[in-house]
Amino acid sequence: MSESVQISEEARVKAQKRRNVWLAWALVAFVVIVGLTTAIRIQETDFSGGDRLYFSGYLDEAQKEDADREAQARYEEMRAAEAEQTDSSEQPDE
Amino acid sequence: MSVEMTAPETAPRLATAKDYFDLLKPRIMGLVVFTAFAGLVAAVGITGQGINPLLAAVSILAVALGSGAAGALNMWYDADIDAVMSRTSTRPIPSGAVPRDEALALGLIMSGVSVLLMWIASNVLAAGLLALSIAYYGWFYTIVLKRRTAQNIVIGGAAGAFPPVIGWAAVTGSTPLDAWILFAIIFIWTPPHFWALSLVAHKEYKKAGVPMLPVTNGAKATRNQILLYTLLLAPVGLWPVATGLAGILYGVTTTVLTVGFIYYAIKLWRSEAGGPEAGAEERKLAMSMFGFSILYLFGLFAALIIEHGFGLYFPLGGF
Repeated sequence: MSESVQISEEARVKAQKRRNVWLAWALVAFVVIVGLTTAIRIQETDFSGGDRLYFSGYLDEAQKEDADREAQARYEEMRAAEAEQTDSSEQPDE
Repeated sequence: MSVEMTAPETAPRLATAKDYFDLLKPRIMGLVVFTAFAGLVAAVGITGQGINPLLAAVSILAVALGSGAAGALNMWYDADIDAVMSRTSTRPIPSGAVPRDEALALGLIMSGVSVLLMWIASNVLAAGLLALSIAYYGWFYTIVLKRRTAQNIVIGGAAGAFPPVIGWAAVTGSTPLDAWILFAIIFIWTPPHFWALSLVAHKEYKKAGVPMLPVTNGAKATRNQILLYTLLLAPVGLWPVATGLAGILYGVTTTVLTVGFIYYAIKLWRSEAGGPEAGAEERKLAMSMFGFSILYLFGLFAALIIEHGFGLYFPLGGF
């Protein structure tokens, strides 16, 4: 069974102060962790998309948009190459 | 089932930091953190998706805090029955060290902090799953199930099975079948693990009015159920090998540990553990089964971490 003691007012206040110090350290740790985490997330975030934020799934959308842009560029390059080929084959021999 | 409970009179004593730490159920927290870490490492290994090490550490910290929060909520609600059982009467609340209200406040604040941290460090899915698992243990298991049904451990076992899924979701933002296989392993493992302990502590549960299986259905039925779930666990434990989630090392480790687990389950099934004839030998056997079950789960998830974390993943199958 656990030991039981009579708690004096002085001991109670002392224990309360000790707990307050623990709470303060916990709060400091929380602030530091949130700060570091936010800094890392900001570094990873591409803000070129305006006011969208990383937690709104913006990064996924941005990746999709990048892929779409690349596909479009490839398509246009292909079309240009085809057009060039057609032009050169249609030119009469002089 | 209702039983008159009289909690032993305890004079208040000064709370120490250890009392508050004990309120978080550190041993359960250790296993929760370990399995969440395994889920995280396996997700990185299987999907090839990376996660910043600090964000991974914060995600694991969030899981630890969430587990602690659920433990504090459990102790807050169960303070009356904890006081009745000798195994739990020295816990911070029944021993008079920590007032119940403080445990409730600690549990609620830590729940919020853990979910918030998870969301900031990973994604909304992992945070949502963490919130769900805290609510599942702190409210659904503790308040709804535990004092109502003998299946409390079976249904409530899901709470402890969430961590690897949360770890996986923290990396990928999704929960594919592989993550839920890890969930299934812990879910099926929980009943034989806990019932082995309850075979020893069944008199205490009866005194406290908690309808654990040995109290409601007797020791023999409990031993039958332990064997049944252990046999069911054998294929579930090896399932990751079939899907390609785990490789040779995991397969060998799991096979050896499964043989050991079934050996203990059969030995327990043939014994009188938990019954009126049970003596020190049977008690020791039930505790050995309980201890081995912890080793089993630790071994499986350690093998998974080693395979995916140290480049020792050599898959045998995969579909």
